[in-house]
Amino acid sequence: MVTAYATQLATVPVLRAQEEEEVPVFPVVGELIIGTLAFAVLCFILLKFVFPKMEQMYQQRVAAIEGGLAKAEAAQNEANALLEQYRMQLAEARTEASQIRDEAREEGNRILEEMRTSAREESERIVARGAEQLAVERQQLVTELRGDVGRLAVELASKVVGESLADEARRAGTVDRFLAELDGLDTAGASR
Amino acid sequence: MTELAEINGSLSAIGYGLAAIGPGVGVGMVFAAYIKSSARQPASAKMNLPYLFLGMALIEALALFGLAMGFAYT
Amino acid sequence: MTARPALESTTLASEFPPGLKDFNFKVLWEFQLLGINFEITKLTVLLWVSVLALVVFFSLAVRNQKMVPGRLQFAGESAYGFVRDGMAKPMMGEEGVRFAPYLTTLFCFIIVSNWWAIIPVVQIPTTAKISLPVVLALISYVLFNWVGIRKHGVKKYFGGIFWPAGAPWWILWLLTPIEIISTLIARPVTLAVRLFANMFAGHMLLLVFTFGGVALLNSDNFVNKTFSIFSFGMAIVMTIFEFMVQIIQAYVFTILTASYLQGALAEEH
Repeated sequence: MVTAYATQLATVPVLRAQEEEEVPVFPVVGELIIGTLAFAVLCFILLKFVFPKMEQMYQQRVAAIEGGLAKAEAAQNEANALLEQYRMQLAEARTEASQIRDEAREEGNRILEEMRTSAREESERIVARGAEQLAVERQQLVTELRGDVGRLAVELASKVVGESLADEARRAGTVDRFLAELDGLDTAGASR
Repeated sequence: MTELAEINGSLSAIGYGLAAIGPGVGVGMVFAAYIKSSARQPASAKMNLPYLFLGMALIEALALFGLAMGFAYT
Repeated sequence: MTARPALESTTLASEFPPGLKDFNFKVLWEFQLLGINFEITKLTVLLWVSVLALVVFFSLAVRNQKMVPGRLQFAGESAYGFVRDGMAKPMMGEEGVRFAPYLTTLFCFIIVSNWWAIIPVVQIPTTAKISLPVVLALISYVLFNWVGIRKHGVKKYFGGIFWPAGAPWWILWLLTPIEIISTLIARPVTLAVRLFANMFAGHMLLLVFTFGGVALLNSDNFVNKTFSIFSFGMAIVMTIFEFMVQIIQAYVFTILTASYLQGALAEEH
């Protein structure tokens, strides 16, 4: 059986050659040529007309992207500069505002102070004038009263004494002395 | 001569079975090495991918030779 | 040989075990040119449809370009930007921008070719036959060698491959063959086979689950009919998985090309 199998195995290629059944493992010349032709046509068309365009597009796109990047960078720089500028301006404005505020505060303080002093002066003035007036009125009253008291006292005394004191000069001296006494009493009472 | 055993079927099937042992082990080793390396260095996974396929293709070719030969000499 | 007849007795679907026959499509038109046999099949038509779709898409994307892109322009430019800034630049630095158009074309072409696998009605990726991956890998191979030779000159470029910088002389007997094989032989082969095999296997996987579901549904056994639900469910899950694989494969192909270009451009290889 083994020998039979061996002979069978040995005859197989011969049989195959006779049957002329194509084995896909071995290339066929006609197919090779047709395949080469087909692939050559494909390569010719694609390499000649398609891929150069595509590569060009690629390069353009790369350039565009790089250009876009440069542009973006420039814009970024510009924006940064602007931001810096705005920041500086803001800082300036802020210091200015604080200056103004300080000034205003000072001004307000000054005004307040002025007003306070003027009001104080005014009030002092008013008080002084009132006091002056009071003093004047008092003086007036005192003078009036002194006169009245003297007259009344003389009248009373003349009535009491029943005689007219002819000697004016004496009378005045008496009254004045009396009054001075009164004053002395007064001041002594007040100091006591 | 007494017949002890008889073999039926295609001898090329046995041949292909034998031819597939080595490449089977080899392809397994290639993928194991790739998986190990990319587990250690995940960043290198993409870089090594062409070499994975290269190695796999080179080893696998042996098994496929066996297949082709099996059909060539039936 | 006992299992096969038993299976066939319970299933009515003749196409169940999907095989290489599912990758051979009806020849729509056949002609000879210079002794080479050309066959126009569903895959050839799909190949040109994907070329046309990409050309139309990108032409519309760059028509009427604006600084702020519209929806279509944005879609086109994000595809270009993904390759330019996600693969070309990380792998090659500023020098990589030069290669970004080619890498984008490559990436988009592979992704569209792969997507045919899960687009309803079509459901066969043009990369599931090795011819197209071989073409793409050869172009990458020629490109990175040409770039290296143009930058360093033939002698210095191949010298860098044959005598790796920094290796002591006594190890060269081992290192030089390895370097030559890995740079000049293994690179294009792996590029092509990787893409092809992924798409081939993915398509096969989807076929297994959908045809299996149909076969189970058509069987006369009630238990088998029930299990067809799981088969169709797996087909849906695998479709989503394949969507991921398709994108990854386009990514891997492009990034490997970028990495080879980087290696060719580097001062020492």
